[in-house]
Order: sequence, then C-alpha cells, then structure tokens
Amino acid sequence: MRHFISTAFLIFGLGISNISHAKIDLVTLPDRDKTQLTIYNSADLTLVREQRTLTLKKGLNRLEFGWENTLIDPTSVQLRAPRHAGQVRLQEVSYPKGVKGSAIWTIESDIAGPVPVEITFFTSGINWHAFYMGTLSEDEQHLQLQGYVTIRNYSGEDYENASTRVIVGKIHLLDEIAALARRDTPYNKPDGSRGRLPMTMAVGAMKQKAYREMDMAEEKMQMNDMVAPKDIIKEGLSEYFMYSIAGTENIPNQWGKRLPSFNIKDIPIRNLYRFEAERYGNAAHRLVYFRNDKKHQLGNEPLPDGKIKVFREINDKQSLAYTGQVHSKYIPVNQEVELDFGAAREVKIEPVLMSEQTENYQFNNKGNISGFDRIQQWEIKLENNRDIPISVEVWRNFSNAYWDIDNARNNKGKFHKVDIDSVKYTVELPPQSKSTLAYTLTQYEGERQNR
Amino acid sequence: MKFQKTLSIFFITLAFSNLAFTSPAYARIKLVTLPDRENTMVRLDNPQATLVEEERILNLHKGINKVDFSWKAVHVDSDSIRLKIIQHPKDTRLINVSYPPNSQSLVWDIYSPEARQEKIRISYLLANIDRLVSYEAITDKEETKLDISSYMILRNFSGESLGPARFQLDYGEGFEKSINDGESKRMLFYQANQVKISKSFTFDAGKHPWEPNKQQTNVGIPIHYVLENNKNNQLGKHALWGGKMRIYQNDGHDGSIFLGEDKPAYTPINQKMKLYVGDSRDVVVTQRKTHHERKNIKRNRNNQIILHDKVETMQVTIENFKDKAATINIIEPMSGEWEIIKSSHTYKRKHQQQMEFTINLPAKGKKTLTYRYIVKNVKTI
Repeated sequence: MRHFISTAFLIFGLGISNISHAKIDLVTLPDRDKTQLTIYNSADLTLVREQRTLTLKKGLNRLEFGWENTLIDPTSVQLRAPRHAGQVRLQEVSYPKGVKGSAIWTIESDIAGPVPVEITFFTSGINWHAFYMGTLSEDEQHLQLQGYVTIRNYSGEDYENASTRVIVGKIHLLDEIAALARRDTPYNKPDGSRGRLPMTMAVGAMKQKAYREMDMAEEKMQMNDMVAPKDIIKEGLSEYFMYSIAGTENIPNQWGKRLPSFNIKDIPIRNLYRFEAERYGNAAHRLVYFRNDKKHQLGNEPLPDGKIKVFREINDKQSLAYTGQVHSKYIPVNQEVELDFGAAREVKIEPVLMSEQTENYQFNNKGNISGFDRIQQWEIKLENNRDIPISVEVWRNFSNAYWDIDNARNNKGKFHKVDIDSVKYTVELPPQSKSTLAYTLTQYEGERQNR
Repeated sequence: MKFQKTLSIFFITLAFSNLAFTSPAYARIKLVTLPDRENTMVRLDNPQATLVEEERILNLHKGINKVDFSWKAVHVDSDSIRLKIIQHPKDTRLINVSYPPNSQSLVWDIYSPEARQEKIRISYLLANIDRLVSYEAITDKEETKLDISSYMILRNFSGESLGPARFQLDYGEGFEKSINDGESKRMLFYQANQVKISKSFTFDAGKHPWEPNKQQTNVGIPIHYVLENNKNNQLGKHALWGGKMRIYQNDGHDGSIFLGEDKPAYTPINQKMKLYVGDSRDVVVTQRKTHHERKNIKRNRNNQIILHDKVETMQVTIENFKDKAATINIIEPMSGEWEIIKSSHTYKRKHQQQMEFTINLPAKGKKTLTYRYIVKNVKTI
C-alpha cells in the first residue's frame, strides 16, 4: 500500500504544553488490518472502512491524520472502537492553520494497550458501473443476458485485499466529494466562501485523463480475458441494492476490474415496433421487452442502469451479428424492461393525411368566424419487411381535448384512448406483410369546443 | 498566555495634572503594562455575528489613564467595541474615546480617583469566527430509528488566537476551548439514540414527470425521514441548528452503508425535522388526465364566453416494486375555485393551491387513484 494514511498516521503523547506542532514521542501506526470499499455509482463516492490496531494509553491520545494527495473528504472521517464501545472516543479533530491535508485527532481512551479501531471516510476517484452483454436468438424470441460489474480506481491509491461492495441507488449529496477533498480548509471559512464549491478545473481535467487511461486499461484487461468468476452476494438495504463481492480484491490505482454478476439464458422477449412522431420522429423504433421477474428467470435483484451490447445468433447459431448498443434504465424487480434499439429500417410506419374538410362554421356578433370543425381522413400505412411476426404500436397525440375519432371497421388490432389528448393502436403483423389503419379525426376549433 | 497576541491593550498612564492639553492622544509613549485577558467569553448564539467579551485588569493611576486598544489584522467591528467598568463602576469613569488616524485602534480615557487595580470588560463583534453544526446519523435496518451524533465545528479565521475561552451557545453551559487563528476544530457535541423516524415517499405532480416510462432516465421519487425534536427522542432540550447531516444505515454485517445527506432547517423544540435522504426508483407514479369538459358557459352581449366551469378527471397509478410496504404522499397542485366532486381515496386540502393524498402501498403493491374535480368560475376575459 502506498503512502497516504499509513505513513501519515503518527501518535504523539499529550501533556506537553506546547502541543501545536511539537511531535514528541511520535508513534507510527501499524498498517491497515482490513479494508472494505463500498462504491456508489450515482455519485463519485466510496465509503472506505479500515481496521487498524492503535496502541493507546489511558486518557488523552493525540494522533495525526493526513490525507494530502488523496481524494479523501476530511470532514467525513470517523473513528470507532467496536470492541470497546464507549471506552474510546474521538473527542476532537483539529485542522491547524497552514497545515494542508493534515489533522490532529484527540482520542480519549479508558483503556491502555492495543485497541482495534475502525476508521471510515469518503473518497472520490473509485467508481463502478453495470454492463450487460445480450444475445438474441435467431427468431428473436429469446435473449441471453450476461451482467457484469466493472470497477475503476483512479483515486491515486492502491487498494489491496479490499473486500468490495457496490451500491445501486440514487444518493442525495450536498457537495461533491472531490471538491471537499480539494478544499484548503476542510470546513471552508466563515462568510462568503461557504456552501457548495464547484469542482475545480484541475479535478475535472484530472478525472478526464484518468477515465481515458481507465478505458485503455479496461480494454487491455478484456483482451487478457477476465478474472476467475467470483460469487456476488446481493441484498437490498433501504432504497439501495448492494452487491458484495466474495473474498477480497486488489484494485491498483488506474486499474479497472470486471466481474461477472449473472448469466441468464433464454429469457422470453417481446418485440415491439412503436411509432410516436412527437417522441421518435418519423421512424418507428424497435423495442425489446421482458420483465424482471421469475417468469423470465430474473427477478432476484433490480437491474442497475447500464449499457447493453446486443448481438444476434445467425446461421443456426454458428455465428453472431452485432445488433447495437443500447442503454437500459434501472429496473426494479417485477418491472418491465424496455430496450430501445432506435429507428427500425425493416419496419415502416407512415401516417398519411388523405383529405381534409371543414364544416359547422360559427360566427360572432361582428360577423367574424368564431368556430368550426376540422375533419381529417388519416391512413396509417404499416409495413413489416422482416421475416418474423411483429407487434406494432402507433401513438397519436392531439393538441387539446376537443376531438372525436371514428375508426374504420376493417382496422386490425386494438384501439385505446390513453388520456384526454392521446390514443394508441396495437396491431400484430405477420412476416412480410402490409396493413392500413384508417380513421376520421374531427377536431373542434374555437366556439365549436363548447358545442 | 502563550498564544501570539495581536489584539492588545497598551496603556499609557499620565497623571491628569501632567497632561498638557496639546499632547495628542495617539502619542503612544511610555507603555506601561500589557495586561493579559482574564476571562474570555465567545458568544456563538447569533449566527450573524460572534460577540467576544474579555476581562482584563488594569493598573490605573490616579487621574486620567489612556488605554490604547488596538486590533491590527484582527477582524474586529470597530463600531461594536464597548467597555464596561466592573470593579468600581461608581467612580472609575470612561471619559472619552478617541480614534487615532489610519490605525486599527482606539484610546480610552479612563479616570480613576486613586491608584488601584480595575477590572474592565471589553466587548466587540469579531468577524470570521463562527460555528457550524454537523450530524452523523445511523439508522437500523428497518429504518424506524436513528442514532444521531451532533458535532460542533469551530472555525476561527478572525486573525486572533483565542486562549482558553468559554464558548457560549444559545443554551446550556457552554464549553471551554482554545482555538488558534486559522484553525478549525470539530468536537463531539451531543448524542441522541433511538430517535423515532418515519419514512415517506413524495410524488409532486407539479414537479415530477407524469409519464416516467417516456423518460430517458428513471424518475426518482424523493424519500424523507421525519423526526421530532422532543424529550421522547432524547432531544427537545434545545433547538437543533441546521447543518449537514450524513445518514448511514446499519448493513447487518457489523458495518454500514451511506444513505445520503441533507441540510435540515433550524428546528425548534417539539418541531419536526424533515430530511431528504435520496430518491427511490422502486416507486413509480404515472399520472394521466382522462377527462376534460367545460360546463355552465356564460356569454356577454357579443356572445363571447366570459365564464365557465371546468370539470376534469385525473388518474394516478402508484406502483411499489419494493418488498416492503411504503407510504407515498401524492401532491396535486390545484388552482382557482376548485372542489373535489368524487375521489377514490381520501384527500387533504393543504391550501388553496394544493391537495395531498397519503397512500399506503403494500410490498409489491399497485393502486390506482382517481379523482374528479370542478374548477368554478373560470374567467376567460
């Protein structure tokens, strides 16, 4: 383990009147006995829990804690003695003038001798994300889904033999940990300088560089194949979900690590092509659905948001074709997953305005037009050029609540009024087929809205 | 006192009879003593300003004594400086205060009827010294109780080092501390364990998107803890100052996870403190307006509509994907002369522009709430 806390921890005796900087009876701390990392993905935040053994004397003990050249938030540091609860207290933390990256702790102890303590603090610079690999069956009725957890360390610190946990969830933070780590005075100064500090350019630039390097390191790692699969223990806590990786990990600075989380074969999926001009423009989007539940061999855990690289088996499973990369939102247990593969080429949906008339004009006392009905004949042309059957959804949105719709009797599929200004058609299309949805839309303008 | 002293009293004592009227007050000759501070009190009860009161013992001569008080490089508000005679308030008198040009100092003319010691108290507002409060709290796995530790952070950037001084808050006995210039200190202040909390989720139809499945990213539903500053919770002895609270949860493996942080507002005794902990993505709320019509249309002589009533129906679907029950507050912004015609659940009129539903959802539960309302007398001209 490199520099930082280990070398910067010094104990010195109290009872000397000129305490401020005279480090008499300096005692260097032993190394960390154990380290645990709890890494978040919604913020640049890692909770570090270290176990060390301090040799204390009865009464007041002073100790120096240094964090220079790290990304630690000094205001988050806490000390506990779990085996001697109530007998060892961190009474005071002092941040002297002109001493950057260092604090003096005053620990009051009722016991003398070696005391196992736990030191916790936040650091920035370590993150994790979920990554998925998806493989569609040739008929696109099933999906194989492999989930991974990727951890990246650019904190400036090597973590060896650390037990590692990653947290899924959206955390509420007041300050960025990286900004807190960079403050000249941990609690800022009174007046003006209070409150939220923007991340400095230096931190941003440093991160960017680190991310780039990490990408390279990760690619290298992928090429060198993956680490041996490890068990990942999963559990829910408050609004979070925690993955605990069995055993310990070495995560050197600038390195990434990808661990397999699950591998589910043959998840039945639903293919849907959706058209909604206001949302997707003039092309239908291809969507894949499955539910995060037992029926789909999932449902043990929420699926963290992340990228999915999707492939499709072809030539009787002999080869693969790359379908594309999509992003999945966080999916709670039992919720449906919607993967948006973007604009579809093989499925065409085009609403065509066939004719338009106006009628039922109304006039006000001055003789001006005060209202009328606009009657439009629409035909929505549907084309499935794929060799598999598909489901199609067409959404139509109107600008207000004053309209009537009259659907042609020979329309296939279902019609559903969603709310006051939108409707939805659902149609099943056989392979290589065409269909048309026809409807007459009457929109009431001006006075006619009060008919 | 071993600290470097920038805030100092010099004194010049001259017998009244010897004092030529022309001798300028700022001719600081013949420094006699440099009395130490006896008692220093730092009052931190006002978040806007810090009041320092210090006592010193002067060796006064008979007649007029010139006492020079200077605060070079110390952030003293010069208009706030006050002097109080403690020992002989009846016949030791402050005669005059003068301010020498271009210097951070003043000269008190103090009259003493005889040569004797005099205790004085000097009060002034000192800037760039204050206190912050921060909290560390840990909740149990069920999120029903919170163990709270409160820390006080003294920050001294006033230019003056304070030797052992009594720091007084707006309650209690205060505490004694030394703090150097440029130093910050965090101290454990008090602890309260097993503080009862209630957890709730809040969907605000005026703020949150109505159709979360049309959003690119998950819509987070804010989570709050509410606790009361009362005696039952080992609190209620004084108001809780606002300050950053970091909330952890016991992870059931001899450790904890960090849940989130918030800066609650100043909370007087017996009042509730509300903490915004984070956002849930396991509670999903979808709202739709399913009906809209105008009624009771009134027209003017030009046949224009000037008045109508609006009747609408709202449908709110709440899904709880968690394996724990949840209490969800649904806030609906309202306006005008509104009235609920029919509602599937009980509601509370919070004020003219808001109503609220409180929906209890079982684990993995789903409920649909519908309400129909009228807004009367909507004026269109």
